[in-house]
Amino acid sequence: MENKKMMHTLPVEAYTSQKWFDMEMKYLFSTTWQFAGFVEDVPNPGDYISVQAGLNNIFILKGRDNRLRAFHNICRHRGTQLLRAVGKAQKAITCPYHDWTYDLEGKLMSVPKKDEEFPELKGKELHKCNLNLHEASVDIFKGMLFVHPEKNAPSIMEFFGEVEPYLGPHIVEDLVEYSEKEEEAFYTKEIKANWKIVVENYIDHYHLSHLHEGTLDMYDHSKAEFGWKGPHYWFYEPLMPDYLADVDNAVPYPLIKSVPREQIGAYVPWLFPNIGLGENESAWSTFHTIPLAPDRTLVVIRSKMENASSWEYTKQMTKSSLSSVWQKYGNKGKYEGDAKTDPMASGDFMEEDIYACEQQQKSLYSPMFSVGAQAKRGEYAIWRFQEEVKKWMQNHGAKI
Amino acid sequence: MEQKSKTMNNKSFPLKVIDVKHETKDAVSISFDLPYELYETFDYKAGQHLTLIFNINDKEVRRSYSLCSSPVLEENIRIGVKRVKNGLVSNYINDKIKIGDTIEIMPPEGRFYADSKKEFYKTYYLFSAGSGITPIFSIAKTVLNTEERSFVYLFFGNRDQESIIFKKELDELKEQFPERFILVHTLSKPKTSWFSKNEFEFRKGRVDEESVNWFINEYPPYAQNTEYYICGPGKMIEDTEEALHKIDVPQNRIFKEYFGSGKEKKGIESVDNAVLIATLNGDTVETTIPKGKTILRTLIDFGENPPYSCEGGVCSTCACKLVKGKVAMKKNLGLSDEDVEKGYILSCQSLPLTDEVEVEY
Repeated sequence: MENKKMMHTLPVEAYTSQKWFDMEMKYLFSTTWQFAGFVEDVPNPGDYISVQAGLNNIFILKGRDNRLRAFHNICRHRGTQLLRAVGKAQKAITCPYHDWTYDLEGKLMSVPKKDEEFPELKGKELHKCNLNLHEASVDIFKGMLFVHPEKNAPSIMEFFGEVEPYLGPHIVEDLVEYSEKEEEAFYTKEIKANWKIVVENYIDHYHLSHLHEGTLDMYDHSKAEFGWKGPHYWFYEPLMPDYLADVDNAVPYPLIKSVPREQIGAYVPWLFPNIGLGENESAWSTFHTIPLAPDRTLVVIRSKMENASSWEYTKQMTKSSLSSVWQKYGNKGKYEGDAKTDPMASGDFMEEDIYACEQQQKSLYSPMFSVGAQAKRGEYAIWRFQEEVKKWMQNHGAKI
Repeated sequence: MEQKSKTMNNKSFPLKVIDVKHETKDAVSISFDLPYELYETFDYKAGQHLTLIFNINDKEVRRSYSLCSSPVLEENIRIGVKRVKNGLVSNYINDKIKIGDTIEIMPPEGRFYADSKKEFYKTYYLFSAGSGITPIFSIAKTVLNTEERSFVYLFFGNRDQESIIFKKELDELKEQFPERFILVHTLSKPKTSWFSKNEFEFRKGRVDEESVNWFINEYPPYAQNTEYYICGPGKMIEDTEEALHKIDVPQNRIFKEYFGSGKEKKGIESVDNAVLIATLNGDTVETTIPKGKTILRTLIDFGENPPYSCEGGVCSTCACKLVKGKVAMKKNLGLSDEDVEKGYILSCQSLPLTDEVEVEY
């Protein structure tokens, strides 16, 4: 093997080259359970969505039996990605291009001009002609939809079961989504960095007290606990004692009721390969990292909060603004400066992280670039994550 | 078709009754002592049944009763038996069987079962009515104890509060698995209980199309790999299955077991004294079928030992393959359309329609 420049255990080119990006699409994002939204995105029988998961576009449909079905969004005729549910009570899936129609089990039901145009199908039962939709898998974990391109995928609980006890105690199903604009995610941002840079920033404990010294300081980083369960990372840290002592007043939004008092804190796990959760005292969020190109990543954050009236929210925000806790913690830039133009003066931890990620991506192309050292505890996760990516891809056929 | 693996030889074993529990005024559960050397022979899957052989009024009678015990728990094998109106055997069992009695029993069998595995992650919808709870109870216990994360949603129909078999044990199961086990009772003729202090929650009505729809909408599946098990009287099964079909539940996810009698086909014009050629246990025998007699009865009366147990067209133990001729089945609650298409018949229900029929067991 040639002597490649390395990050920790992956080569630098894994963060810069199209070849690596293509391999990840094939061997990582098309072989894992992929986040597809929230359960409430497909609320009623007949509702459907389609999502891109690695190389696959997957169509999720809820039947009248309230069970979700997943198919590859590919009409078996000419492969068009046009599927939609139609008919009274949405009992059929059709491709509007030539009106080939399938039932809810993906079986081909009708083909216009079948006998004249397709003599090889004449007299045959269509569902036995090997032209049924390709089935995929869909399941639910913590109120989130996940899809897997294989029909007989390993069960979602085999994949996430081991890490589940380390996630927040939040009962996600009781929370309601919060967004500034209807039908839009709480936060969407394209970051000019490789998706792994974004993940590594998310799971890096070492940076919390430094990059975010004025923004995430309401949590007690010194008491953080974290570790790995299979390919998944888990993380927990408590509130700072004075924040906790006044949390009923200080918390900016109503406290999430399903979190017992003694378990309040920030749970910030990373579910392999590309979905992080942010589960804290007043919000529960998904941090979906979608690779767009070797150096471009779309981050979509969807956020849920306690199901309380707007009056409750207003009341809480007023109480919170009066709390002395916020004179001490949060919302302060690392450096003084123009909050609008300098991320380091923004007082916004997302701005800080994005800035750090993009600046790291830039340096990857420098001939002088190297990783000089790795924090033993605080950055172990970065090495481990790269190991997990490598292992997973190798186990699924990548020659790397 | 997969079946008749271990009971091909029609063998039975004397087992001792070690417990008789009166579950309701019309139903008992009976536990048997299983000697160590029979553990393997009597290994079973949740949902299967035992066939009991009695000699009542000098006639050998066999009846199949579902196991309500779970193969994954350390409990004795146990069956549930509800009185059937004018039923010879069920009343005999309810009235006469006591601890210490010995009963001839054939090893467990049946195609209605849940093959539970630890790593499964499923939602099991269980529909039962009356004594149909027997195999369903076994399935519920087995799944909850084996599959660490699967969900069990049980919809259970009865006449009234007092006719609910295993009521207490079901409540205990609910306490044990509060997050994964949903139990909803529906009563067709509930007793008003103004004086009763303990509130018993139930829905009014039967297990029928409307209530099945209600149940599924009220309790949508969490794990998306769903299976549907139905056990009860014929009408309840038909209604439930119909309801499931109407909401597009695929047939391969539905499993059912008929309790009690189904509809019998009347007015079959069978051929008198048709020639019967049967291959069983490696031998081929030839005889004639007297008017009105089934293939199975003909063979038994001829001195043969064909496999069978329920003789009611349910259990499929007596299934054989028709290789020549035509027959009509009075009832068929055991074989799927696909089985029938492949030529399988239930010999206990089959009357000849041609002058000659040939079957292979």
